[in-house]
Amino acid sequence: MADVLFKLKNVHFSYLGRIPALCGVDLTVAKGSRIAVIGANGSGKSTLLQMLDGLIFPDQGTIRAFGTELKESVFCDEDFSANFRKRVGLVFQNPDVQLFCPTVKEDILFGPLQLELERKKIEERFAYLVEALSIQGLLERPPHQLSIGEKRKVAIASVLIMDPEVLILDEPTAGLDPLTTRHIIDLLCDPSSEKTLITSTHDLHIVEEISDVVYVFGQDKRIVASGEPEKILKDEDLLRQNNLVHIHRHRHEDKTHAHPHLHIEHHG
Amino acid sequence: MKRNNFIERSLVGTLVFLKESVFSDDYAARRAFLQGLDPRCKLAAILMLLLAVMFSRNIYFLAGMYALCLLLAVSSSIRLGFFLKRTWVFIPLFSLFIAVPAIFEVFTPGQAVARLQLFGLSLTITRQGLASAGFFFIRVLTSVSLCVLLVLTTRHYALLKALRFFKIPQVFVMTAGMCYRYIYLFIEIIENTYLAIKSRVGTVPSTKKGQMVVAWNIGGLWQRSYTLHNQVYSAMVSRGYTGEPRDMNEFSAAGIDFLWLGTAFLILGLSLWQTYYLN
Ligand SMILES: Nc1ncnc2c1ncn2[C@@H]1O[C@H](COP(=O)(O)OP(=O)(O)OP(=O)(O)O)[C@@H](O)[C@H]1O
Ligand SMILES: [Mg+2]
Repeated sequence: MADVLFKLKNVHFSYLGRIPALCGVDLTVAKGSRIAVIGANGSGKSTLLQMLDGLIFPDQGTIRAFGTELKESVFCDEDFSANFRKRVGLVFQNPDVQLFCPTVKEDILFGPLQLELERKKIEERFAYLVEALSIQGLLERPPHQLSIGEKRKVAIASVLIMDPEVLILDEPTAGLDPLTTRHIIDLLCDPSSEKTLITSTHDLHIVEEISDVVYVFGQDKRIVASGEPEKILKDEDLLRQNNLVHIHRHRHEDKTHAHPHLHIEHHG
Repeated sequence: MKRNNFIERSLVGTLVFLKESVFSDDYAARRAFLQGLDPRCKLAAILMLLLAVMFSRNIYFLAGMYALCLLLAVSSSIRLGFFLKRTWVFIPLFSLFIAVPAIFEVFTPGQAVARLQLFGLSLTITRQGLASAGFFFIRVLTSVSLCVLLVLTTRHYALLKALRFFKIPQVFVMTAGMCYRYIYLFIEIIENTYLAIKSRVGTVPSTKKGQMVVAWNIGGLWQRSYTLHNQVYSAMVSRGYTGEPRDMNEFSAAGIDFLWLGTAFLILGLSLWQTYYLN
């Protein structure tokens, strides 16, 4: 099929050759689809996203992107590499690693300048994003001196400015206040855009909005379930097994009682 | 145990002070004369003024240059008290080792001005010695003032970029920039780790334990910096980095910059002319 962007077959990956991080992952990403990846801590979500961004490569199994098998060697081809980087953007889970320029402004402009995008278009998008994320006041400051949430906003801007066709987000809303979270989701889910969106998150509130398909990673670092958000979010056993249920504990007079908190109920 | 705590606290305190004084962009962010100049022109002009100070043999000229520094400081909205403190801190360092010995007859023979009886040694202060120490002193003072002016009024990255304009190799400039950033990060990590330990165990109970904690920290720091470096590199690659960073050349020199550059050039000329043609 022409509109398959990524295809992973039985992918295995381990760090330093001994810490397993992905153990047999199969995944297909169609053009324009919106995917959420959820799972417990350490289940391999970030690893998968980095692999989709062509930063690490399988020990076993294959990953194909845009019809080419991704390997270290294909990125030696400058045209392919530049083209791939233009089409795929990743917002890292840890904004500290993503921001390395002396000022916020330079950091946001780093990507487009590397990829030699058109000056005028860069400036337009820059102005738009600064406005949308309300980071006007941060532009001249060094990124490493920002608060965690501010850093995340800058990191998101630094990827969105490249306007990639595939947007990969590793916990984009962690550490953000509710209103900022709202703004960012609106920015990402712009209905007019045809972007392919791949998001990993612990924030089940946003899953329904940002995805059409949900993949659940299990403790064994494989995909244990997938399906529509409504279906997955209703599957209490599945969520419980994968540390994804909020247990709310209340106090009524002298008695304490706890119950799981299902995210689907909010939208009844 | 008391003493231990004191050392521990003052070490962390010093680091934090260093972080705040070296890394603050406070003065560079103000809108005033030197801050408004193009960093390249500023750098070039300050270099010329430094040369002028180095070549001059005229005490009035040097005094004039120092006055100019003070004037520049004021016109760049730097508090005079702060500026003097910043510069005078460096003076003893230089003068103690070079200027003070020079006033004595042993090092600079000449007409005696005073005699000192020190540890059974008879030392004679000479007029020539005093004069050369005076020269030296005001020269150091003026040079340090010029450097402090440059550093205070320029954001560090603008300074680095300006260096690049003068064909200082890319690798050097990049490394300097990264070092700057990592030093900040390291101080921050040490500070936070110290706070974390304190919040978990109160104070570090014994020297032995304290040493262990420091050792863990250094080990951890090293590993963290390594992992961090790898990840930062990935992040750069992810955004299209291929080994040759590009950036917007935002510097633009205007009339005032050239005026300033010209003035510095004239001053340098004056200094050279005085030294080599008048004498
Ligand atoms: N740089 C690394 N070096 C060694 N092991 C690592 C490294 N990064 C991750 N791992 C290991 O790989 C496994 C998967 O990690 P990954 O970061 O993909 O998890 P995750 O699902 O993103 O978790 P989280 O929800 O906490 O972000 C974990 O067991 C982790 O310990
Ligand atoms: Mg992760």
